[in-house]
Amino acid sequence: MWLVFKKEILELLRDRKTLFFMVALPIVVFPLLFGGAIYFTSQAMSEAQTKTLSYAIVGKQFAPDLVSEFKTVENLDLKELPVGTDTEEQLKAAVKNGSFDFIIAIPENYSANIENSGQIVFKIYLNDAELNSVQSRLSQIIDTFEMQYQREAFARLGMDETQQKTLLDPMIIEKVNVADEREKVGAMIGGMIPYILFLLCLQGAMLPAADIGAGEKERGTLETLLLSPISRTDIVMGKFLTIATAGGVSALVTVLSMAIWSVILSQGMAISFVSNFMASIGLLDVALVFLMLVPIVSMFAAILLSLSIYARSYKEAQGYMTPLVFVVIVPVIIAAVPGIELKGIWAWIPLTNVALAIKELIKGTMDYLQLFAIFGSSVIIAGALIAFCVYWFKQEKVLFR
Amino acid sequence: MIEISGLAKKFKVENPKKLSEQDKKDPRLEGRFFHSVKNVSLRCDKGEVLALLGPNGAGKTTTLRLLSTALQADAGSMLINGIDVIKDPVSARKKIGFLSGTTGLYGRLTGRENIAYFGRLNGMSEQQIEERIAIIADKLDMHSFLDRRSENFSTGMKQKTSIARAVIHSPAVVVLDEPTTGLDIMAAKTVIDFINDLKSQSVPVIFSTHHLEEVTELCDRVTVIDYGETSFDGTLEAFKALSTQGLHASFMASLKQGVAV
Repeated sequence: MWLVFKKEILELLRDRKTLFFMVALPIVVFPLLFGGAIYFTSQAMSEAQTKTLSYAIVGKQFAPDLVSEFKTVENLDLKELPVGTDTEEQLKAAVKNGSFDFIIAIPENYSANIENSGQIVFKIYLNDAELNSVQSRLSQIIDTFEMQYQREAFARLGMDETQQKTLLDPMIIEKVNVADEREKVGAMIGGMIPYILFLLCLQGAMLPAADIGAGEKERGTLETLLLSPISRTDIVMGKFLTIATAGGVSALVTVLSMAIWSVILSQGMAISFVSNFMASIGLLDVALVFLMLVPIVSMFAAILLSLSIYARSYKEAQGYMTPLVFVVIVPVIIAAVPGIELKGIWAWIPLTNVALAIKELIKGTMDYLQLFAIFGSSVIIAGALIAFCVYWFKQEKVLFR
Repeated sequence: MIEISGLAKKFKVENPKKLSEQDKKDPRLEGRFFHSVKNVSLRCDKGEVLALLGPNGAGKTTTLRLLSTALQADAGSMLINGIDVIKDPVSARKKIGFLSGTTGLYGRLTGRENIAYFGRLNGMSEQQIEERIAIIADKLDMHSFLDRRSENFSTGMKQKTSIARAVIHSPAVVVLDEPTTGLDIMAAKTVIDFINDLKSQSVPVIFSTHHLEEVTELCDRVTVIDYGETSFDGTLEAFKALSTQGLHASFMASLKQGVAV
């Protein structure tokens, strides 16, 4: 078995395609893609905040104080509307054709005395499909005026600070969160982690599985291997171990790479956040997460190898394997459904139980007694799938299709 | 010595409706089962080369796959130097060197690594493997490409490496399934020389072929399989004697006669 395993690993390490997907992709390409996406998004956001926008005001005469304030804002270029642009349709057209980035219409009832004016509704004509942060820029000014007018109105009505507060927010909900930082962060990201880990294990195992099963059949080396004086159980176990190792290593490399790169890319404040969060999880829980992945990777490897052995060619094998991604996603989605917890029957459902356990471990709320059920069911199912894989590999109708 | 007697192997036909009209008329088709090999017997003694002949689909490859333990027989017996191939396939495999025109190499391994891997699978020590590779590489003139990855080998290089891999463990018998099919003249000559070399070492060789000139050049015995049964099993002289009009006519006669000589 170890002879087959060593030879398969050697071949795997010499396969540029597999190495690319297993090592280069998680270490270099993923971080570059994510980093690039974050960089360009933040650039675009910052540009949207600072870009000079041309605008016009309809109804300037109703709010000279507000108009003066608008004029002081940087990166806002006030222009005059062309003569005859009065109707709503004309205003919309002026924005749509690019003459203005936005037009603000001040209503006739605008007044500093809001007790008498009634609700003041500003209309902004803008192309909201563009990233321009018009509303946030205008809100800063209008909110200031709004608060000032409110205060003045309350003063005129003779209300003190407390009455003002009560009138503005008669009832509020105050949360007293007993969850610590780890539980909060764990609840946020705990559902995503098993999803990522499971898919990484599966993806990392797929290419080697297709290569050392159907690929070997296609290249004509499998028959020669079958004629060597080692048992077919040893052959299939050697291949199974290779696929499981590839899946596990792929997940491990990606997780480590993402952890390291997130520290490097986030810098400053986030470093202490990441390191605090990682420190709060503890090595035992991290080790348990990866220990629970062992039967999961074994299940994937056994299923993938069975499919690969059955296929006549590499291409056919990939066709059989691709739908597995959806099969894996369903139990993880179930684990993310609110109300489903790691107890009772859920602790025995394969994949879902590990997904739930990973979430609980990250949150720090794990009931460690459930590990018996998790490992019990996972190991039994993984064992059954491996046994099937060995049986399958001994079938002539499968090997010589 | 190789001795096969009353060998039989049937396969379940997964979808009989998909069979061609010709296949449906094949007498070996019985219900949902196709008797690929019905009754094959042959014998190849020490130092003999036996040619396995027969039309396409006659059952030659299945017979050799049964002998090499890739497939399990339904009935009959196979002995290799007294070892029961059916009862003790792992021991039998240690005695066999198998090569076919369609078997491939591990492309990402070098020629040497390909050969050494099968040496290790056969339980040889690293020293034994190195010594044996040196001898075989000398004999087959492989030194110039032995340490290159086999994915870029020419057909001849591949065939030489396949031969070396098949005999790395000094097998007691060698089985070759159409080893020259699809090969160019130089690669085919390598195989012929290899068989002659085995013959000079008194290693019994069974090989299937469609090239009758190879039969006269190499063989001591001929076995013809037709419709999964031995239709002729005898010496080369007896085979030639089936017709005065050459080997092709003898072959045709062997198919019709269905007698053992």
